[in-house]
Amino acid sequence: MEDLLTQSTLVQLRVNGKLHELEVMPFTSLLDLLREELHLTGTHMGCMTGHCGACTVMVNGRIAKSCIVLASTLERAEITTIEGLRTADGKLHPVQQAFWDEAGFQCGYCAPGMLMSAVELLKENPNPDDAAIESGIAGTLCRCTGYRSIVRAVKAAAVRMNSPEA
Amino acid sequence: MSLYPLFARPRTVQQAAQVLESMSSGVVVIAGGQELMPHVNHGVLQPEVYVDINALADLKGIREDDGLVSIGALTVHRDTFSDPLVAEKLPLLVEAMKLIGGGRQVHNRATMGGNIVAMHPLYDVVPVLLTLEAQVEVVRGAETRRTSLKELMADPRHGLGSEAILIRVLVAPMAADAGFAYEKLKSSGGAYGSANAAVALTVADGVIASLRLVIGAVADRLVDASEALAFCIGQSWSDALASKVEHCCAGLIDQPLSDHQGDGEWRKAMAGVVAQRAMGRAVARAVAQEGR
Amino acid sequence: MPADKYVGQSVRTIEGRGPVTGTSKYTNDFAFPGQLYAFIVRSPHASAKIKRVDLSGALKVHGVVCAYDGAQVAEHLNPLTHYIDPGVFGGQSAELRAVAIDEVWCYGQPVAVVVADDRRVARYAASRIQIDYEPISPVLEIEDAIAPDARAVVPGWENNFIMRVPFRNGDPDGAFARADHVVSTTVRIHRFSTQPIETRCYNAVWEHDTESVTLYATAQNPHPMRYVLSQILRMPENKIRVIAPTIGGAFGVKMHGHPEESLICLMAKLTGRPVKWTETREECLLVGAREQRHDVQMAFTADGELIGLRDNFYANTGAPSACPGWGMAFLTGLTMPGPYKVRDIDVTMHAVATNKPAWNAARGYGKEATAIALELALDEAARELGFDPVELRMKNFIQSDQFPYPSPNGLMYDSGDYGGAVQKALAAIDYEGWRARQAEGIRDGKYIGIGIAYELTPEGGALPGTMVSGYDSSSVRIGPDGSVRVLTGVTTPGTGNPTGIAQIVADELGVALETIEVTQGDTTTCPYGFGNYSGRSTIVGGGSAALAAQELRVKVIKVAAALFGVEVEQVELHRGIFSVVGDPARTLTFKEVSYASYTRAYDVASCIMPPLEATATFKPSSIRHTPDENGHINPYPSYSNAAYVAVCEVDVATGKTNLLRFAAAHDCGRVINPVLVEGQACGAVGFGVGGLLFEDIRFDSSGRQLTRGFMDYVMPRCEDIPEIRMVHHDSPNPDTYMGLKGAGEAGVGGSAAAVANAINDALRPLGVALNQLPFSPSRVWGVIQAGTAAKQNIGEAA
Ligand SMILES: Cc1cc2nc3c(=O)[nH]c(=O)nc-3n(C[C@H](O)[C@H](O)[C@H](O)COP(=O)(O)OP(=O)(O)OC[C@H]3O[C@@H](n4cnc5c(N)ncnc54)[C@H](O)[C@@H]3O)c2cc1C
Ligand code: FES
Ligand code: FES
Repeated sequence: MEDLLTQSTLVQLRVNGKLHELEVMPFTSLLDLLREELHLTGTHMGCMTGHCGACTVMVNGRIAKSCIVLASTLERAEITTIEGLRTADGKLHPVQQAFWDEAGFQCGYCAPGMLMSAVELLKENPNPDDAAIESGIAGTLCRCTGYRSIVRAVKAAAVRMNSPEA
Repeated sequence: MSLYPLFARPRTVQQAAQVLESMSSGVVVIAGGQELMPHVNHGVLQPEVYVDINALADLKGIREDDGLVSIGALTVHRDTFSDPLVAEKLPLLVEAMKLIGGGRQVHNRATMGGNIVAMHPLYDVVPVLLTLEAQVEVVRGAETRRTSLKELMADPRHGLGSEAILIRVLVAPMAADAGFAYEKLKSSGGAYGSANAAVALTVADGVIASLRLVIGAVADRLVDASEALAFCIGQSWSDALASKVEHCCAGLIDQPLSDHQGDGEWRKAMAGVVAQRAMGRAVARAVAQEGR
Repeated sequence: MPADKYVGQSVRTIEGRGPVTGTSKYTNDFAFPGQLYAFIVRSPHASAKIKRVDLSGALKVHGVVCAYDGAQVAEHLNPLTHYIDPGVFGGQSAELRAVAIDEVWCYGQPVAVVVADDRRVARYAASRIQIDYEPISPVLEIEDAIAPDARAVVPGWENNFIMRVPFRNGDPDGAFARADHVVSTTVRIHRFSTQPIETRCYNAVWEHDTESVTLYATAQNPHPMRYVLSQILRMPENKIRVIAPTIGGAFGVKMHGHPEESLICLMAKLTGRPVKWTETREECLLVGAREQRHDVQMAFTADGELIGLRDNFYANTGAPSACPGWGMAFLTGLTMPGPYKVRDIDVTMHAVATNKPAWNAARGYGKEATAIALELALDEAARELGFDPVELRMKNFIQSDQFPYPSPNGLMYDSGDYGGAVQKALAAIDYEGWRARQAEGIRDGKYIGIGIAYELTPEGGALPGTMVSGYDSSSVRIGPDGSVRVLTGVTTPGTGNPTGIAQIVADELGVALETIEVTQGDTTTCPYGFGNYSGRSTIVGGGSAALAAQELRVKVIKVAAALFGVEVEQVELHRGIFSVVGDPARTLTFKEVSYASYTRAYDVASCIMPPLEATATFKPSSIRHTPDENGHINPYPSYSNAAYVAVCEVDVATGKTNLLRFAAAHDCGRVINPVLVEGQACGAVGFGVGGLLFEDIRFDSSGRQLTRGFMDYVMPRCEDIPEIRMVHHDSPNPDTYMGLKGAGEAGVGGSAAAVANAINDALRPLGVALNQLPFSPSRVWGVIQAGTAAKQNIGEAA
């Protein structure tokens, strides 16, 4: 059985559309992998215990807190970080646009959590009410805004995404 | 404790069991990592070997098996509470699991197996599974065993996570006319529970016919209050009965937790409050069912 | 406000693209070739003698570059320079070391440092360091520290008072003798802190060629920090560069004085390589704030006039530190009696040292505690004397025609209309409607409460002889292409002030907002400034940038006039287009004029002196540091203030509070950008609500901190913050540029007090009230139980 044990593991990650084959050490969190190996520093560290949500990314289409995902357990995965939200031609995602226009953040440190949560929420529920937004962003802390402007931004994003031009 | 741990990704349960068996100490099973990683990140836990069970097909999926609902240990919370079969047969589990904290990010990755094996007194899944008298299937070495979750929890040498693997949970469907409720009291949106109660009961002719109630988050261990509440059988719900339930359940907690969630005296009292409220809601549901 | 002005409009932030695209660089996002990582070993004891430190185990670990204990560090570093030295103000000062030498004074104090080429290796190696301690029984609570036989936390001190300051005016004893009623209330505020989501981080880079250090730091005050580093590192300031990149929230905790700042610079110097330290959440939670006990007495006439105020208060500021945290207690006293006109006051502040970890500044800077103490005590008085809480406040507010108003402590309140703000806040929340619902609720067993509170927040402060200063400077530079760069001495913790400043410059200069870039937080490129604290950045940053922009506008208009061949009075400039009055067809672009200013210095542009750069300082005239006849100074230029109203429902069976509505009417002077100002106010409400209801830092009886992460330190989530109705009730400040007042600091105390008062209002039918924070469910339930038990006893006795 010893032959199953390895000092590092191969993972295949498609990050923001780009394929990476990486040999990762078994103690590396997905957060550290993204920030330190791939230099994608848009994903932030706020606690390392899964409570703040500043490290949120999308793993296979679902949001996750990258600080508490062990990178080596992702044999093959599709990852989207906040850097990957922009469309190929560099246009802002409607959620990015709405958060900027509606002052959905102040310092911006929580933005990865708030934006990725909003993207997932709006994909499933294009017209969320206040309660749906509250639970949709419940995994992410914001210390600056008092949240009301975030709720406003998510609603504005919904309007943008539902409008025919979007 | 090791600075450079090893990693294994077995492909079959048998392989995984063998790896675990071959190691003496310092090995941990990892599923979603939502429980382990905070400890690893803080250096509180430095495993020597990680055994990644995510490739084990036997631990995946929800299905009906011999009249029981079988939920694979790797099923993430969100897939459990949004599953139509679970919704139909185990609505109490759905109600409780939707209240799990950590947000969607955690619901998307935290697994059934990890939640059970964590055996954390503040968590929400096990109180429901105990209420519903769930069975679990466990593999250790070459042996596959099915036991009640209750028995497993009572066994200090269950070895889950280091020697044994939880394969799946099996739960008998709730009666179609069952009344049920999960009551979770927490101090704020981001807090863990301070007192939880899960209840499933039936009502016949307006009186309580059967009853199971488990209280969590108030003591180190979950408290099964079903026997102590036997006096409710044959009774109809009333304010007087509610206060008897409240008093009885608070009385069952002799060593309450006293932590950031709240002090012991309050926790003890809250055990009564959540039990009584859960039961009130459950009876109302059952009565409404009966009336239909 | 004419629509063609940027000021007054909610434009989106110019710096906002970075955060939404993930391209903003925060301090922790920098990594340099050869990067090393430091790990700090901290004391597990609240108080202990250090008998021996053995680093050898760590040094053996592969990948470790160096490890030092306190004595070794002290060979290279001077004692830490105080941000605000209590000794300067007649208090007791302590010699503070970056790493403890013989003794530790609090849990979490640094006792050794390890540097390695990998973070995990550094942490692992740290566990190999052996330290022998001889624990000493700690002094933890205010009552322990002030007991006559208390052990001095700092060896050599006479007692545990960092400082005691009386704030006395008029004839308080006479007022109490004359009073018809005296109401006594003890208000206890617990330890809670700011916890920005970005923790602190320092990355020091040693520059070999110049023997200088560049510190990338989560720093609110880069220039003053550079001075402090020069003193501790024994290096001239011109060999030190502090760069504060994008900051992920600060709220005071990133003001300097922390031991890690100089320590990390030293590690870079000693290793010759970049060294980074990133604070963990657990470490961040060590920084305390706010813990105070107030014994308030209020003297009233029969008709509810507050004629005397006594408040003997104690602040548990923890172990001495170089951070400016302890000074918050001083401000709590100085801000008394808030917005109320009572003049006979006797307030004594005691800043107490204990073996808890030290404070640092926390949004509100002590002024929140003034509001909490006064507003809870006033409600207690209203209950006891049978007054309506609104009416009691209205009777006692300073009136709007009394400004400028000298407070009993010598502060010069610039302007305000406190009664008017309360009326607006009440209207915004539908006060009468809620009173009706409250009455109905009781019939169905629902306990609804409505609480009001007021907060007066002096902002933009300056303390003589310290690096807390009232003025600041900005440079405006126009390039030959007509683009504009503003460099300021103020910094932003993420509040949007660069946009506010750019709006001001765009209007003053006459250019489009999009052509302006703002640079902050670099001691080598920005003009000298004091950074960000006390709601000052827009007042002095915006004010100074406006002055610089005005200077440049004069220049470019001159050049344009020369190019047009007309008088300067005939030139108009709007959004980057120059035109001639009465001849709108003749225009010049900003680029054309800028280019000419640089390239035609010997002909058309000889009327000005190039380059198009100006630096100006805004120094609010109302700050006065020469004491008046009573020894009073006025350290603040601006007194923002606000009324808060909260509506809640209390579940009396569990003690849990559900906030239903919240409203605030605030006066922060002229508003540059309403959305940004409201954002600040809403954020402060979040702090107030979280602190009042659940955030709590706790210790065990041996002084070990129990609150170690976000599982224990629970901050508000979206669902915890109710809808907030924000209305403006602005009275412009006559002493600042355009009438600005601060907006960043206010609201923590007022919102906390409004919620507290709402809860007590809900509990009124039960005949109980609580004046001890936090109002957690278990605590609220506890007072309800105690009240019920007391009633039963009375019932039995009868
Ligand atoms: C921020 C946050 C908030 C949370 N709030 C709640 C809450 O409110 N209520 C609640 O109930 N839970 C809560 N949780 C806990 C969460 O539900 C559990 O952490 C999760 O279920 C663990 O699953 P996992 O797969 O990630 O476990 P892992 O971290 O992978 O493993 C956890 C433990 O189980 C063992 N293990 C896992 N799977 C198996 C298996 N199949 N066989 C044997 N051993 C196994 C591991 O060895 C380890 O000891 C919260 C978690 C977070 C991060
Ligand atoms: S850093 Fe991942 S949740 Fe806080
Ligand atoms: S904007 Fe600063 S944490 Fe959300």
